[in-house]
Amino acid sequence: MTVLVVLLALAAGAYLIAILESWAVHGRLEPARPAISALALLGRESVLARTPDRLFFEAGPILLLVAGLLAAAVIPLAPGLIVTDLATGALFLNAALAYVLVALIMAGWGPNGAYGMIGGWRFLGQFIAYAMLIVMPITAVAMRAESLSTVTIVQSQAALWNIAYQPLGFVLFVVAAMGLAWLPPLDLPTAPGDLAGGVEAEYTGVRLAVLRLARMVLILALAGATVTFYLGGWLGPWLPAPVWSALKILIVAGLMVSAGRLVPRVREARYLELSWKLGIPLALANIFIVGVIALVVPI
Amino acid sequence: MTALAQYAILLGLTLGAVGFVFSLYALARAIGRSREEPGKDVPATAGTLSRDPVWVRYHAKYYGYALLFLAFDMEMAFMYPWAVVYREEGLVALLDMGVFLAILFLGLLYGWSQGALRRQE
Amino acid sequence: MIGARSGALTGLRRLVANALARDLRGFVVPGMDVAWANGLDLAGTGLHLATTPRHASVLVIIGPLPAGLADAASVAHAQMPRPRAILALEAGDLAPLPAADATGALTQAGLVAALADLRRTIANGAFGSGAREYSAPALETRIEYTCPMHPEVVSDQPGNCPKCGMTLVPRETAAPLSHAGHAMPDMSDGVTAETPPDPVAATHQHGAHHPSGDTKTMVEDTHAGHGHDHAKQTDASAQYTCPMHPEVTSDQPGSCRKCGMFLVPVEDKDAHAGHGHTQTDHSALGSHSDHSAHGGHSGHGAHGGAEVAGIEAHFMSMVDLTRDMPASADGLKMEWIDVPFGPFFPGLPGGLELELTLDGDAVAAAKAESGVSAVNLLREAATSPEAFIDQLAALSPLSPVAYRELACRALEQAAGQNPASDTASARAAAVERERIASHLNWLAGFGTQSGLHWLERRAAGLQLELRHADARGIAALTPRTTALLRRLHRTPLLHDKLNGNGKHADGDALSGPVARAAGSTSDARSDNPVYGALGFGVLTGTGGDARARLTQRTGEIAQSLGLIARAGQIAMPEVQNIGSVSGKGEAIVETPRGAAQLRLTLTGGKVTQAEISTPTAALVALIGAMARGRELGDAMTAIGSLDISPWELTA
Repeated sequence: MTVLVVLLALAAGAYLIAILESWAVHGRLEPARPAISALALLGRESVLARTPDRLFFEAGPILLLVAGLLAAAVIPLAPGLIVTDLATGALFLNAALAYVLVALIMAGWGPNGAYGMIGGWRFLGQFIAYAMLIVMPITAVAMRAESLSTVTIVQSQAALWNIAYQPLGFVLFVVAAMGLAWLPPLDLPTAPGDLAGGVEAEYTGVRLAVLRLARMVLILALAGATVTFYLGGWLGPWLPAPVWSALKILIVAGLMVSAGRLVPRVREARYLELSWKLGIPLALANIFIVGVIALVVPI
Repeated sequence: MTALAQYAILLGLTLGAVGFVFSLYALARAIGRSREEPGKDVPATAGTLSRDPVWVRYHAKYYGYALLFLAFDMEMAFMYPWAVVYREEGLVALLDMGVFLAILFLGLLYGWSQGALRRQE
Repeated sequence: MIGARSGALTGLRRLVANALARDLRGFVVPGMDVAWANGLDLAGTGLHLATTPRHASVLVIIGPLPAGLADAASVAHAQMPRPRAILALEAGDLAPLPAADATGALTQAGLVAALADLRRTIANGAFGSGAREYSAPALETRIEYTCPMHPEVVSDQPGNCPKCGMTLVPRETAAPLSHAGHAMPDMSDGVTAETPPDPVAATHQHGAHHPSGDTKTMVEDTHAGHGHDHAKQTDASAQYTCPMHPEVTSDQPGSCRKCGMFLVPVEDKDAHAGHGHTQTDHSALGSHSDHSAHGGHSGHGAHGGAEVAGIEAHFMSMVDLTRDMPASADGLKMEWIDVPFGPFFPGLPGGLELELTLDGDAVAAAKAESGVSAVNLLREAATSPEAFIDQLAALSPLSPVAYRELACRALEQAAGQNPASDTASARAAAVERERIASHLNWLAGFGTQSGLHWLERRAAGLQLELRHADARGIAALTPRTTALLRRLHRTPLLHDKLNGNGKHADGDALSGPVARAAGSTSDARSDNPVYGALGFGVLTGTGGDARARLTQRTGEIAQSLGLIARAGQIAMPEVQNIGSVSGKGEAIVETPRGAAQLRLTLTGGKVTQAEISTPTAALVALIGAMARGRELGDAMTAIGSLDISPWELTA
């Protein structure tokens, strides 16, 4: 039962994020647009490239959807409203998100097209940049909560949200999450200006619809993860818990989708450099600082 | 709920997602099949046909970063359980992991100084 | 609708057709810059723009398509999934493309009306019986048969190679251009010439040496052994060598004394040696789809087919395997691929055919040419001055006014006329107005390329309003323009992205913002007294990289706004009655991309001879050196920063 409710919430959330993204891109708020686009995509032909790697080509979007769903399965929307409250929730989230890389590389390699393949390998470079910066802040969060379970992590923020407790970790995590979901300015795999659609380019029709849906679910899962780890999940006065969750997740997702568009696309070499020379030392410092504070301060 | 039951739910979720996708494919197939025409199946390259395969050995330029990433990834695998028992163990845990992290950090600095952290042309 | 899908329009399909009509995605040909230059606001009409024909449902053709781009347009059309439609705005005869589903005038109103038409057509015709298969000459291929060891041997029928007796293998080539020029990689595994290749053995071999290779895909048997990665061409020399031991040579065919393989003729390793052209021909075996997966693995093939009696598999070190492969700057030998960034690439000028050889994601070589075919400047022996001016303006749809001015000045000089100073000043203001519009157009393209969507939208919108505004309108738009430029320069990470990117060697023939950004002071306007009266001073920059060019162009926009304000009025360049004079005229005008020079001869009031030099040829020559060794995104930014107009290359 809870599974169904969460899935419905996920679907609604994905729809709303699609509206937010099209608002950010086109400057117009069109509530019916995602539904119309989805129907239109169903009606278009799904072209299979010549000499493809059929398995990879088909598996790419499906794996992306599965990865997003599994990541979203450990996000708590309210006490008890979670698909599975795994004892190792945060770790499982990370594991599920690792498949995003596999899915994108499959999607790039499968169609045997130049733009897609380059997009896929570029995403691998991007992965090397963001992967550590997703994991290290989560470790710091787990240190405070003394547990990897997402529910416990939310409950540990009852006194003070992690965004105030570990702001450095928050910033690193959000930027890395944008890299994971290839949101601008880190949209190297599907760069419209460099690669004319890149990884997404060879998908048409219903397969493209699945790919786009998977991406929305992924963004939703990442926004949910940010809210769970740093913004106190369902915690908040007056309003009921699920409403708080929904509000926070939508706001974070909206910001993730739109804030990056003010900045030009970051070159891959630059992103790697910044992540490893600046990001990782900061993340290590964050762990150390949180370690000291966690020992000293009882909350 | 036992962990096994939880993973069973997740497996069910996975299979459900795959089933959902296949049913969407079936729906699209019911609407119509893709028509094969000359040139349509060549990967799109902005107006020029290019039938060459691109499955070549790709020269990734970020292999320096990738090697360091391996080291740090192994480190993170150790840090997860450490983080959970950290507060219990107290200062000792901080010092233990501090030493470990410091050594790894020195490795990062060494790699940096040797030019591993740049685009390898 | 020709581009419809088959099926009856009932139930779900009707719903879907309505959704398709409302969710139009357009692929613009020849490019967004041409659309903006013609005053069309595509995004404002509710048409979503697609970056690749695969995501598009409408092919939007702006203006008449030059002959050189017609093939590319037919390719783009063929790659669009059905249901697809064509929207043509004053495009005339669409030759290889099917008839347009909606047409309109080349104005915003025409576009909106045509779109409404198109939506109706799609809603009623997305599924139906009107569907016709689309085929064009550019898409056709034919099968020819060639010998793996002697690529120059080509035949239309299967058979045996007259030189070595091997069975000819099928190869797909584009008709009518035969790719015989691409020498095929040498299937120099001497074994295959004599023995029926054993697919299982080859599979086994591949499995052994290439752990990640999918061994199950070795379906194609005549390619059981892969040759070296370089193309070899036979010559008349009688030297024979072992494919795996190049030091073993002999004058007679026979067996290698080290490994027993059959000796193959020595071919000279020519310029293709360093080039991964293997791919071209491996791909050709269209029906053997999995095989082409190994197109790139040719480097380690020479050992294949070893399950023949008397010959044992020989280990080849990585050094041997990669001996002839192209080496990147870090010494690794990897395979390079040729990728076209064809005429309709979003972010690049429409019509520019770029072909990059990519080494991973770095550019190893770049080649650019204009897809717009050459146009004769004088269509008849003697052209009237007005027709000549119009022709010259049509030459460059991105900056027609500057070319009008060029023609007018040359004609006036030939006829000995002198325009009044305020007319001259008003004409100069028109040229400056176009300079602003052209630079804004370039900024919008830059925004597309670097992912700054707000820049694309605002610069394009501003450009649309500015291009035909009068002096008062421009004065009213000045605050918005300066605000845009200020916001642009304050964009975080922008200068970081452009710094050091796209430097070029000094060239004498360079002119325009690119030259001035590198410190040159050449500007055709500085010799012009009209501009002197308006207080013109040459704007130069330092650095010569993409950032300097951006700053140069934004500086020129601000400068031109000031010049127009001082001129006070704007008038389109035109000539008064020329009469029947004869003479020679010459003029030079600073177009938004550089100095263009025109020389013409008037005979009896008609233009009988004309030659023009445009700034673009010099810019295109820079592309090769500028892109080499750079990462793909950087190379695209650098090429984009040159602001090339493929239209101007024609003359």
